[in-house]
Amino acid sequence: MSEESAINGSVNNGRQLHLSCNCVKIVDVMEESKNVIELRDISVVFREKPVLEQVSMDIKTGSFLAIIGPNGSGKTTLLRVVLGLIPPSSGTVRVFGMPPGSLGEERHKLGYVPQLLGVDLKFPLTVEEAVLMGRYGRIGLGRRPGRRDREISITMMERVGIAHLRRRAISRLSGGQLQRVMLARALANEPELLLLDEPTNGVDQTTTFNLYEMLKELHNEKITILMVSHDVGVVASFVDGVACLNRRLVVHGKPSEVLRSEELEEMYGCEAVFFHHGRVPHMVVEDLR
Amino acid sequence: MDILQYTFMQRALMAGAIVGALCAIIGVYVVLKGMSFVGAGIAHASFGGVALGFLLGINPIITAVFFCIATAMGIGAISRKGDIKEDTAVGIFFSATMALGILFIGLSKGYNIDLFGYLFGSILAVTQFDLIVTTTVGIVVLLIIAVLYKEFMFISFDAETAAIVGIPVVTLYYLLLAIIALTIVVSIKVVGIILVSALIIIPAATAFQIAEDFRLMMVLSTIFGVISSIGGLFLSYAINTASGATIVLLATVIFFITAAISPRRRRKRYDLSDNVEEGPSCMCADRSADRETSLKEGTEHHEAAECSHKHPH
Repeated sequence: MSEESAINGSVNNGRQLHLSCNCVKIVDVMEESKNVIELRDISVVFREKPVLEQVSMDIKTGSFLAIIGPNGSGKTTLLRVVLGLIPPSSGTVRVFGMPPGSLGEERHKLGYVPQLLGVDLKFPLTVEEAVLMGRYGRIGLGRRPGRRDREISITMMERVGIAHLRRRAISRLSGGQLQRVMLARALANEPELLLLDEPTNGVDQTTTFNLYEMLKELHNEKITILMVSHDVGVVASFVDGVACLNRRLVVHGKPSEVLRSEELEEMYGCEAVFFHHGRVPHMVVEDLR
Repeated sequence: MDILQYTFMQRALMAGAIVGALCAIIGVYVVLKGMSFVGAGIAHASFGGVALGFLLGINPIITAVFFCIATAMGIGAISRKGDIKEDTAVGIFFSATMALGILFIGLSKGYNIDLFGYLFGSILAVTQFDLIVTTTVGIVVLLIIAVLYKEFMFISFDAETAAIVGIPVVTLYYLLLAIIALTIVVSIKVVGIILVSALIIIPAATAFQIAEDFRLMMVLSTIFGVISSIGGLFLSYAINTASGATIVLLATVIFFITAAISPRRRRKRYDLSDNVEEGPSCMCADRSADRETSLKEGTEHHEAAECSHKHPH
């Protein structure tokens, strides 16, 4: 992916950007320029408290984007909006060009890696059973996993290096191994878009690094990756785009520009608003409407 | 054994075996999905249904089926709305349906009511009709589980991801509630309204202590369920005790024996790291509990207070 083609973003000018995207679609025949995810003025209000405000963002096919932000900034909520688990209070979401609630067959292009801390470790499940679950959406209601499903599961287990653990109970895994199980499960769905919720939570530095290495590899195979994280440091060297979220989309651009350390600190306080769009990074004052 | 010559004993054993297996299989999902209290609530709701049957002069099992399914759907609908937690919803229906039952009993005064048998079980009084109903419902429930085995497993383990890959989580949740209700209704003749949830929970909980994979838990739970009901039935005959109570107590004894000898497998491990944690990271202690609430509420956990330090990079 060329660096600047990966992401398009907008803080306050979603509509205009949307129109320009439509034009691009007509003119540009290249698959790569298509948006996998389009968010337009997404607001989420929960119990009369705004969790997300006016977030607009395009994520292009093949990009590797990290959404970072302080805790409570709404980044997990944004991920859940993309996944169709939370309907936005206002605004539109398109995933593969469709509302995430009515994705139909397109659902099979999604791979989701949940937070490790939410995984029910006491559930009696072997690694193989857990990974095979990733196929369930494709297999269909009431059908048994076939040979192909098992083969793909094994391939994915091999790929993330847990094939030797396939008969082991998930309760007996280390954090790093469990994370690979969750990744293999997501990959078993043969996704085009991989979404990860705080994948570095609760695992050590080595495991984190290994995960990013694997994600980088997947990214090279044209899988679009969207990751929610507060692990700012390590993210930079792997992803090709960073969006900083603090209820609003504060900044969105290449990691080298977003993550210059002085700005980062400010961003985390979200005092300055830094916006990168296209080749030349430029500052934008926060939306004053 | 000469007691097997009696028709009532043959019926009792058949009903006991079917119900024991059925409850144990359903129980696996109930225990893993954390719905034990839902099971107890639906069981107690059947009291209202049975009483309604007495009031209307219909076979109480038939009214109980509808009553329990309605209650199960009500619990599901209220807890899914999200403002009220599942256990609170159960608590409401639990007492309301019992109250209705008492009201119905009062209204149908003058009739000689065999209510005791429904409350505490009367497996030796299982009729031909009861056996046919039990068998039919048993087959239906088992068929549903056989077909949707993997989906129910998925939504019990990780409903969120199941929804994302396109499993109809909500529909399946209601279907699960409905088959729990059906199972309970056909089981009340065997162990009684008050004890039926034990037959669902205990064998599955026993299997949970041993099994490390889902299939094994199913198999073990079924075995424990059938052993408890058949064994309890013989035991109650031998020592002349109430059959429902004997069945449940036998299951309980098996549970405690298993708990004592089971390998210490379920390491409580919230520390997920492979090595000892180095340097500051945001692995604050009560994250998992925090997260559960946040999942329900659809917001992020507010860890700002716990993790106010700047993230190193």
